[in-house]
Parts: sequence; C-alpha cells; structure tokens
Amino acid sequence: MVYYKNVEYDGGEFSVGDDVYVKRREDASSDEEDPEVEECRVCLKTGKAVMIECDDCLGGFHLKWSKPPLKEVPEGDWICDYCEAKKLRKNVEVPQPPVGKQRPRTAREKLLSSDLWAAHIESIWKEVDGDYLFRGRWYIIPEETAPGRQPHNLRRELYQTNDFADIEVTYALFCCLFDNLLIGPKKFVVENGTHQMECLIRHCYVMNPKEFAKESNGDDVYLCEYEYDIHWHTFKRIAEIDNCEGDDEEADSDEHWSSCKDSDSETEDTEHEERRRNLVAGQFPTHQLAAVWPFPLFDYVVNSLVAEHVRCHKQTELEKAKATLLLATLPKFLPCRNKEMEEITAFIKGAICDDQCLGRCLYIHGVPGIGKTMSVLAVMRSLRSEVDAGGINRYCFVEINSLKLASPENIYRVIYEALSGHRVSWKKALHLLNERFSNRNKTDREDNRPFLYNILDWPTKPHSRLIVIWIANTMDLPEKLLPRISSRMGIQRLCFGPYNYQQLQKIISSCLKGIDAFEKQAIEFASRKVAAISGDARRALEICRHAAELTDYHNKNSNPNSAPAGRDTSTTSVFHVAIRKDNGQITLELEGWTYLLDNHQVISEDPPDTVQDIINKSNMYGAAAV
Amino acid sequence: MGQKSLAEQAQILLRSRLCNPTFIFTLFSDSPDSNHSKLKFIISSSVTEACNNSVLLLGPRGCGKIAVLELVLDDLLKEYHDLITVIKLNGLLHSDDNCALKEIARQLCVEHQLMFSKMASFDDNSQFMVAMLRECGLAHKTVIFVLDEFDLFAQGKQRLLYSLLDAMQSVTSQAVVVGVSCRLDADQLLEKRVRSRFSHRKLLFLPPSREDLQRLLEHILLLPTDSSLPHDYVADFNAKLLNILAGEKFKEIIETLSNSDLTFNHMLRFLFSAVCYMDLESGFMSLDNFKAALSTIQRQPKLECLKDCSILELYILVCMKRLEVKEPDTYNFNSVMKEYKSIHDSFQTSDYYARNVCLRAFEHLLQCELISVVDNRGLSQSIEFRPVRLLISCHELNQGLKSHRSCPVILQKLVDREG
Repeated sequence: MVYYKNVEYDGGEFSVGDDVYVKRREDASSDEEDPEVEECRVCLKTGKAVMIECDDCLGGFHLKWSKPPLKEVPEGDWICDYCEAKKLRKNVEVPQPPVGKQRPRTAREKLLSSDLWAAHIESIWKEVDGDYLFRGRWYIIPEETAPGRQPHNLRRELYQTNDFADIEVTYALFCCLFDNLLIGPKKFVVENGTHQMECLIRHCYVMNPKEFAKESNGDDVYLCEYEYDIHWHTFKRIAEIDNCEGDDEEADSDEHWSSCKDSDSETEDTEHEERRRNLVAGQFPTHQLAAVWPFPLFDYVVNSLVAEHVRCHKQTELEKAKATLLLATLPKFLPCRNKEMEEITAFIKGAICDDQCLGRCLYIHGVPGIGKTMSVLAVMRSLRSEVDAGGINRYCFVEINSLKLASPENIYRVIYEALSGHRVSWKKALHLLNERFSNRNKTDREDNRPFLYNILDWPTKPHSRLIVIWIANTMDLPEKLLPRISSRMGIQRLCFGPYNYQQLQKIISSCLKGIDAFEKQAIEFASRKVAAISGDARRALEICRHAAELTDYHNKNSNPNSAPAGRDTSTTSVFHVAIRKDNGQITLELEGWTYLLDNHQVISEDPPDTVQDIINKSNMYGAAAV
Repeated sequence: MGQKSLAEQAQILLRSRLCNPTFIFTLFSDSPDSNHSKLKFIISSSVTEACNNSVLLLGPRGCGKIAVLELVLDDLLKEYHDLITVIKLNGLLHSDDNCALKEIARQLCVEHQLMFSKMASFDDNSQFMVAMLRECGLAHKTVIFVLDEFDLFAQGKQRLLYSLLDAMQSVTSQAVVVGVSCRLDADQLLEKRVRSRFSHRKLLFLPPSREDLQRLLEHILLLPTDSSLPHDYVADFNAKLLNILAGEKFKEIIETLSNSDLTFNHMLRFLFSAVCYMDLESGFMSLDNFKAALSTIQRQPKLECLKDCSILELYILVCMKRLEVKEPDTYNFNSVMKEYKSIHDSFQTSDYYARNVCLRAFEHLLQCELISVVDNRGLSQSIEFRPVRLLISCHELNQGLKSHRSCPVILQKLVDREG
C-alpha cells in the first residue's frame, strides 16, 4: 500500500486534511448535476448578479429583490422577507418552481437534508489492486445526533464524530447494497472495516468558529465546534475556551476582596436590571451560548428502569404528593405575594416609563424562603410578556447571585458579559461599564472603590438608565454600610414578612390541588408549626414531603406484598414525628427537648429512655469535644 | 495437629469477620427501623422517583456512619449501576469552597469521561456543576454527594453548600447530599439561607443497645455451621461460647467496657484482641481471653510507668503530692527537697539520698512525663528553680503505690492520710 499526500481524481485534487462531500444514497443522485451555484429563490435563476444569503433559511436571493433593494451586501445578519414574514406569522407565497421540474439543490442543501455526507480525509492510500482509498472521519449534522437539533445549533453547524471509515475513491458497484443498511444515524455494521462507498464529490470547508466568523462567502462552508461521540452520545468542544485570563485577575484582587467583605456577606442576591431603549433583536447576546462550558449531553433515551417506574407503576396518592411537593418542580409562582408583586411591578414600570430615572434602587429584605426572589422573577416574567406585546419599552435584565461569585470584583465581569456577551477581565469590564453608565473616561482610583459604591453610583448618573434591585436577608443592611454607600442606596424599601399560617396553608393546598393525600388538619398543623418557627415556605413544603415519605416508608415496610389499600393519608401523627425530626433539636439542652416533647405530643416512637440516652450521649460527646 | 489447624482456621475466620464492616452491619440491614433501611429508602427513592434530598448522618465517632453508608451505596450501585454517580468530599481536605468545587468538577469529569481542565475558575466550576446536575437530572441519573466531616463545610460563608443546595432546588435535578458528621448539632451550624434549602432528613447513629450488642456478639463470634470446619468442632465451639456469653462474669466485662466507650469500633477492637488471645491448643475461646483483652484495651500507661519507678522517685512523687496541697503551682525542686528532708526527719526513714541523686531522679520523672514544669517561661533558669506540677491524679498515685512491688509502708500511709 502506498500512502499519498494528495491525489488527483476525476478532475479534483484531494489531499489529507481536506473536507469532502461523500455521496450518500443512490436515489439522491436524481438531481442530474450538482449545481455549483445556487438559484435565486425569487426569480429561480442564477445569473451573474450578486446574491445574498438569508441567515435563517440559507436561501439565496438577488440583491435587487430585497425590500428596499440593496446596492451591496450589508454588514451583519440579513434575514429574507419570507423568514421575516414567517416570524410575524403572516402567510407568504414562496415562489414555487414549475411543476415537474425539481429545483436543483446544491450540495449544501443535500448535506443538511442528510442526502450527502461530509468527511474529513485523514489519510489516502492506494491498495494493491490499484484502488484509491481514503480514511475519512465523518461529520454529522445536528439532526442525526441523539438529542436532535437543539435551539442553539446554527444552520451551518456540523459535528465532528469519532467515527472513521475507509472509503474508496473510485466508484464501487455494491454501494447501493451498503447504502440500504444506512438507516438513521450513521451506524456502521462493521467497525473499522473497509466501507466501499460511492465516489466523493467535491470539497467543502469545515471551519472552527473563529475562521467561520471571518469567512463570509462560499456556499460550502460549515461551522464545526464540537466533537460528537457516537457511542456515548456526548458532545465535546474541540477547542477549549481560554479561561485562564480571569484567574490571573482574581489573584491580584485579594486586597479588595478583604476590604469589602463585610458588605458582601449581607447581600444574598443582587439583581440588576438595566434597560436599553434602542435594543435591537440582533444585538442580543448571542455569544452567551458559546461561552457555556462544554458539557456533555447524555442520551435522552429514557432509561428502562425510570421508564418502567414512570409508565407502568401507577403512582399512589402519596407518591404524587411527594413529587409535587418537590421544591424543584414547584410552579414558578405561588400565591399570597400579590401585594408585594404589585409594588415591585409599579416600581419597575415607573422607572422604565419615566424618562428621568435617577437613583432608582429598591431594597428587598426578609428571611429566607418567603418568596423574595420568586416574586421578583415572576414580575420580570410578566413584564417580559408585556414587552413582547409592545406595552412598555425594551429592557435588559441581569440576575446576579453574589454568593455564586468567586470574588466581589467578578460582578463587573458578569454584568458586562450579560450585557454585551464578551468575557473580559473585571478591570476592563469596570472601565467599560463606567464609560457606558456615566459617560466619562476613567477617573481616579475607581477600581479601588468598594464595588457596592460603584454599582450604586451608576444609577445616580444621568443617562445611566440603570435600576438596581437588592435582595437580602438582613433588614438593616443600609444602616451598616458606609454612609456614602447607604446615601446612594435610596430609601425605597420593601419588606417581605414571613408567611403566616393561613398563607402557608394556602400555599401547601395549592401545591397539593387534586391530590388527596393529606388530611386538612395535617396541613393546618404543619403550617401553624412552621409559621410559629420561621414562616419559611420551603420548610413547610419540605416537612409535608417528609411526612409523605415517612408514611410511604411505613406503608411499604408494613405490608410489602399487598398494595396500599385505597387512600393512604398522612395522618397527623406522622406529622408530629416529621416535625420533631425536622426541627431536630438534638441539641445539648434538655429544655429544648422537653419543650418539643410537650409541644408536639410526640408519639412514643422513641421510648423516653432512648431520648434520655441521646441527651446523655450528646452530653458525653460534647464534653469529649471540649 | 489437625485440631490446631482447625483452631487456626476458626481464628482466621473470626478475625476476617471483625475486620470487615460489611459483615458486621449486614446484621442490622433487614429491620425496617434500622438506619440502613431508612437511608436506603431515601436514596433509592431519589433514584427511582427523581427527587432531591439531603440527609445528615449524625453520631459519635465509631458508630458506623460511613460503614452503613458504604453498604447502602454498594447495594444501590449493584442495583442501578450506571444511574448513580457518587461524589465524595471530605471536610478535612476540601473545606475551602474553591477547592471543593474543583474536586466536584474533577470527579464529575472522571465519572463521565470528560476532560477536566485544571485552569477552570470558581465560576466555571460552579457553572459546570449546575449544568451537570441539570443534564444528569434530564438523563435520569442520580448524583450522590457524600460530604464527610460535614461540620467543617459549615464554616465561613458556606458558598459550596449554598450553591449545591440552591442548584438542587432550582433546576430539575436528581441529587442527594449526604452529610456525615459527629457533631450532633451540625444542622444548627448552617446559615439560615442554607438551612432553608436543606431538606432536614436526619439519621442518628447511636452506640448499640444491650440487645443489639448481644445479637452482634453472637453474630460475630459464633462459627457458621455450614463452613468447611467439621461440624462437631463448630458445635462444641459455639456451645462453649454461648456459655461464656451468658455468664455473669462476661457481663461484668462488657459493663466495664461500656463504662468507658461502647461504640462499635471500640467493641470490635476488644473482640479482635480477645480472638487473638484464643488458646490454639484447646481451640476454644475462654473467659480468660476476654479478661486479657480487657486489660490490654484498658491499659493505663501512667500506672505502668509508676510500676517502674525507683523508691526515691516514689518519695519525690509523694512529696510533690503533699506540696500540691500546700502551695500549688509554685513549688520547685528545692521545695520538694525540703519536704523530702522533713519527711526523712520526722519518720527517720532508711532511704535518704544525696541531693544530686535526687536531681537525677527528678529529671527522670520529668522525662517520663509523670511531672512537668508549669510554664515555659524562664527557660534560662536551671531546672531546680522552675515551678513544677504533678501529672498524675491522687487516685492513680495511690493505685500505683499499692501495686508497686517494694513500696515502703510509710509512703502508703502518708498518701492514705492525705487522701
């Protein structure tokens, strides 16, 4: 066998490292010739005039047909009238080719409708019998991967696979036979065997995102960013993103970190909301998707076990209750916060509609688990739909949780990334944000100032058009801050009180609507107890779930053979146990214990001596620990 | 010869059992009230019903928290195999949020055949973790986070716990956080916002009760009837052993043992040394084995040290004992010598040694750590002038004197009078 660097065949030259189309199906070749040039979608002619490509449907158009007619190819994205119309849900008539004549399709269209394949030539050699073969590495289109086309896939996106095949350069007779085996995704019958295939057709160009962005013309250009593992159905990014820049910056920011630690520890979530009047759809941060970590997508084929459980197993009322009470599956909005939500809505709307919004800050405080973040997010969602309906101006919403930031300075980076889609170091981001919000160049020592000051300073600048909503647990955070910071924070505050027992009861019952697992007294008992302790909705739901779980456990263990008969109700007695466990006062104080025992009338699940034992042991342990 | 090898076989069997926590804790795995089945229910329901949970396993050291957890995880891994990812962290190693997140990311990468980038920052890692949790949830894979020494994670701002628990609340995920801690108030250490997100399942691990202990002893020590050992030997062995276990003497031994420490670990150590003392000639366990084991496990190094002391050293200790009452924390070698002289004068004892001999004895006591200097100030002073104190209690000294082979009667009298 002789290996070659490049081979000239059938008028084309193919060399190692090239990307080529490979013909796929016999019937697909019904298009007699492969047009190198695409027809215009409007006049169905090719012609010499300059054509422009729609970024949505990838169809070609002569410049003269666009409305208004274009003189030259515009910068940025261009969407054809048909797609534009489709977006607005209008009916448009796309010019159809005359009946009987099939519109010739370009290789690109065939590839994207999986009638052609693309492969990367890894090596070319000549067999002893004179045939030319090459080893190709397949590309795969998003539709053929296990999860299918994802919303973030670009039209011209391909995935590189880890699947190789030896392909004969010359035409082989039994290709048809082989092709019959090709159903669905490219599953090869013989691993690493020699697949003798139809001839390869011609070059295409598969590029990484950077090159792709530069390359503007040519029909056979594709983007390939990820490698697809055909066995594991996972995606891997081919080129790693460069993350080290941020790390270096963090290293020398230690001093600031310690200097503003106090203020940071109080803030739970900080939400930024920033509005931009002239926001065009095209300017939305599209880079964000690309910046996501290259995580794998698992095979979404539902696992047999889970499928069995979900489909075949008829859920009892208790299991349904458990599922609905899960905090992750809760509805996005819970009742009883209407008044606060109205206030937030009024605040934001006032700020957006008002042309002069100076120093707009809202400070929201309250104990954990009473729906602060949830209400704000619900308000933002409802506003978003109003924006879509055209009721109010566009704005851009950035949510930041300061506990998830590595260091306070990163907040600039996160804000800037959310606004513009670029990842820069925090100093750069601060500089850019300063320019943007206060319309001035860098002044003295602004990056030495505590970040709270900066963020609160921006809304006070004219034309900043920035609204800041703070969410925190502490009531008196503004009083604890430096005077210059708290003076900028404004006086607008919103206090979320803990839920009272009626509200909790309402919340629990609204979650359990239609599920008959809990007695009414049980719910009331739980909500009263929680309201007495903290008024935390999460806690209340968690207790109910725990109670359901305990009852479930009890049922399953007591009669494992017979299915739980009829309706099984979490009785109040189980609740006692659950609440006691949940409060879990296994502390060293005896008083707490007796209080709980009296208060919750604990069913004698643990005989008293055991409880005494626990206390003794914990005392012993405490002594030992000291 | 045959008998001897039988005894050896039995000994090997018993020892291997004692070293195998799986064997020991399977005893409790069946009953529905045991921690094992409760924990298994919680984790397996999260696997099959796609829910999130967080559990704390609390209890003093040596009560089998990790052993039970391992047992449960083994069972579940056998049952569900590729549906479970176990991430293990230890508070002693990963209490720093940054490095804990990095470790989580690393283990997730290893589990899912991904490239792990060491350069990834805190943000990247936490984004990655959240993304992975979501992906795992969508693919119906459960991630189990085991946080050993949980109390150490609850230091500082608890950003790790917050982001972990918050991710479990906000995205569709299937994850279980199992915290293992020997602080019974571990959940009180959590910040309020973390506590609100924690789902408060708690399992308390306690030292075995009387009945459990009895069952455990039989479970461990009785030879299996269906083993390679001859049947009549096993029957004899078991009969003798049951006889011992039922005896009052044995109960006393267990009682003394439980006075100090009755955790599983301690009990197993005791049984191990008892098995090692087993008489290979006869091939059976006897009560003496247990007694010997008890004395080895309850060694008292200070008393043993006292046993080897010379008579002069005992004198010095007794003098110091008397001085401890008169002038605590201020006396030094010179005052000890004065006291020694006064004892000698008043009782006309036969053993009187020169000052330099006494100093040597004094230094030896310092070396044995039966006595020590009070503070480390005044290093420049010579040893005679530095204040010293006793490191053994009055009771220990008394015991030591009694068990000493040639202790002068006068010393015992002196100590008795004091005591």
